[in-house]
Amino acid sequence: MDVRQAGDAQSDLAIGLVEEGKTTVALPESRPTIIPIRGAQPAPAVEALLKTEQLWKVYRAGRVEVPALQGVDFEVLPGEFVSVMGPSGCGKSTLLHVIGGLARATRGRVYVDGNDLAAMTDAERTKLRRHKVGFVFQRFNLLPALDARGNIALAQHIHGNGFDPHRFEVATRLLGLSDRLSHKPSEISGGEQQRVAIARAIINEPKILLADEPTGSLDTKNSTLVLEMLRQLNRDLGQTIVMITHNPEAAAYGNRIVHMRDGVIVDGVPED
Amino acid sequence: MMKEMILRNVGHRPARTAVCLLAVAVEVSVVVLVVGLTTGLITETGKRIEGVGADIMLQPPSASVYLAFSSAPMPIKIGEKLQQIRHVESVAPVMLQFNASGLEIVYGIEPQSFKAVSGGFVFHKGRDLQNPDDMIVDDVYAASHRLRVGQTYKLFEHDFHVVGIVEHGKGARIFVPIETLQDIAAAHDKASLFFIRCTRPEHTETVMEDMRAVLPKYEIRPLKEYLSLMTATDLPGLHSFIDSMIALAVCIGFLVIFLSMYTTIMERTRQIGILKSLGASDGYIARAILGESATLCLLGGICGVGLSFGLRALALAKWPNLSILITPQWLLTAVVIALAGGLLGASYPTWLACRKDPVEALAFE
Repeated sequence: MDVRQAGDAQSDLAIGLVEEGKTTVALPESRPTIIPIRGAQPAPAVEALLKTEQLWKVYRAGRVEVPALQGVDFEVLPGEFVSVMGPSGCGKSTLLHVIGGLARATRGRVYVDGNDLAAMTDAERTKLRRHKVGFVFQRFNLLPALDARGNIALAQHIHGNGFDPHRFEVATRLLGLSDRLSHKPSEISGGEQQRVAIARAIINEPKILLADEPTGSLDTKNSTLVLEMLRQLNRDLGQTIVMITHNPEAAAYGNRIVHMRDGVIVDGVPED
Repeated sequence: MMKEMILRNVGHRPARTAVCLLAVAVEVSVVVLVVGLTTGLITETGKRIEGVGADIMLQPPSASVYLAFSSAPMPIKIGEKLQQIRHVESVAPVMLQFNASGLEIVYGIEPQSFKAVSGGFVFHKGRDLQNPDDMIVDDVYAASHRLRVGQTYKLFEHDFHVVGIVEHGKGARIFVPIETLQDIAAAHDKASLFFIRCTRPEHTETVMEDMRAVLPKYEIRPLKEYLSLMTATDLPGLHSFIDSMIALAVCIGFLVIFLSMYTTIMERTRQIGILKSLGASDGYIARAILGESATLCLLGGICGVGLSFGLRALALAKWPNLSILITPQWLLTAVVIALAGGLLGASYPTWLACRKDPVEALAFE
């Protein structure tokens, strides 16, 4: 059996080969891509694909300050599938938003593939999100006016490389969407919508896939289907995944579980 | 992909799209029809005056090219002086009286001299003026007022008898004997203008020079260029009126598009959050929103073109004596104005969309 590096595996050809069962994939070496940041200090050499250092996020509502994250130190290695668990309001979603560049940290550092988000402008974070991060949400968040094909192609269009029909076909085939592409979100089931969302998230081969309660709106059968697909993406393609969930059964699909409470991580830090 | 997204968004809310298109269409048609009505009336009037068939028109000193602003200050005996000028074939005095109720100018004429200058009327029905209370109308006026030969028609509080219906295009729509109109206007032996026919058209300049020598301060105009004189001369308040109507139409379009795109942005807050989560830049989002506005305005503009022609047809069916001139230039100008107003109206909602926090936008219900 031909063994390839996962850095190569995240090509559409490898996707096709894996699907056909003709190859296995080893975890990639860490090769971060540095995006130049105006006026920033050079980022320290990191092995982790994702790393936070004393991360704080404080929300202000009038005079009241609500600390959603309180000094979070969090790491994700390339190729990991990390599940973040915790009760409602513990800061899971906030952590996801900050590491995905949707929200700015109040204090601390966030490194994504070697890039310090804290030193970036909104435009730079947007650019990083466009090229390196894929999101999957609980409510699917598909555009209702576009069909499944349009929703997936939109991600390619925003990415800037235009429509790649081969990559599109491989991704949609992998997620079992080939016969649902001409349907709008209102015309397909929740499970299918979430698969469209996953296809949209991976079509540009992001470094990291962030999933916010991806099974929160699904029944048991579809939840299992979606989780199996995420596991397959991680296992066969080396896709790095951080998934937020409150469901222990869903969390078990990850190869590491991190527990959060009251804005801090209480366990689940990887052993050195 | 951007075009597909824009078109699908436009089609996703058909009621909202229909309202926007209608508003822009109304905006475009208001501009086109207001301008068309004013220029149409001017053009049509100018053509009718040219259609008299004379070579030269003599008016009092400082008289306006717009005959509605004329009175009757010239002695009718000027006609005799004009007849003596070399190369003058015939002279026709005309008295003008503005009919405020019908917004028409009435010509008081001497039938024989007018026939000598114009070549005579082309009668659809009836005969020429013979008696003091006779009246001739053109076919357009007869149709719009449902007049028949033999009917009595009150004009200037005087009962006239319709004795003839003629082909339109010879100066006015209503003709009465000049003496009758002089009595009505208390302007005995006066004329508002004189039409002069030369022996040959090539003599027009020579005759005009001789006329200037005899009547140095009078307005002497070649009728060949009358229409261009009318369109080139500023009618008092005309440009201000047109500009006001255009400004009003732009305000309508601006407000409708502003309101439409503002509510669209509010409705699609979550979608904007989705685009931002996918890495769409502010520029991408702005292009999507402004593209949608531009599409609505262009489609509305096209509908407005159709609406303009439709409304014109309806107006002409109801009021045949109206003249509404629709030109390609003004159609294009109206569509461009609608587009500019729409983009301006969408600019603030676009700015709002770009400023939205992606996390808040994604959580929006």
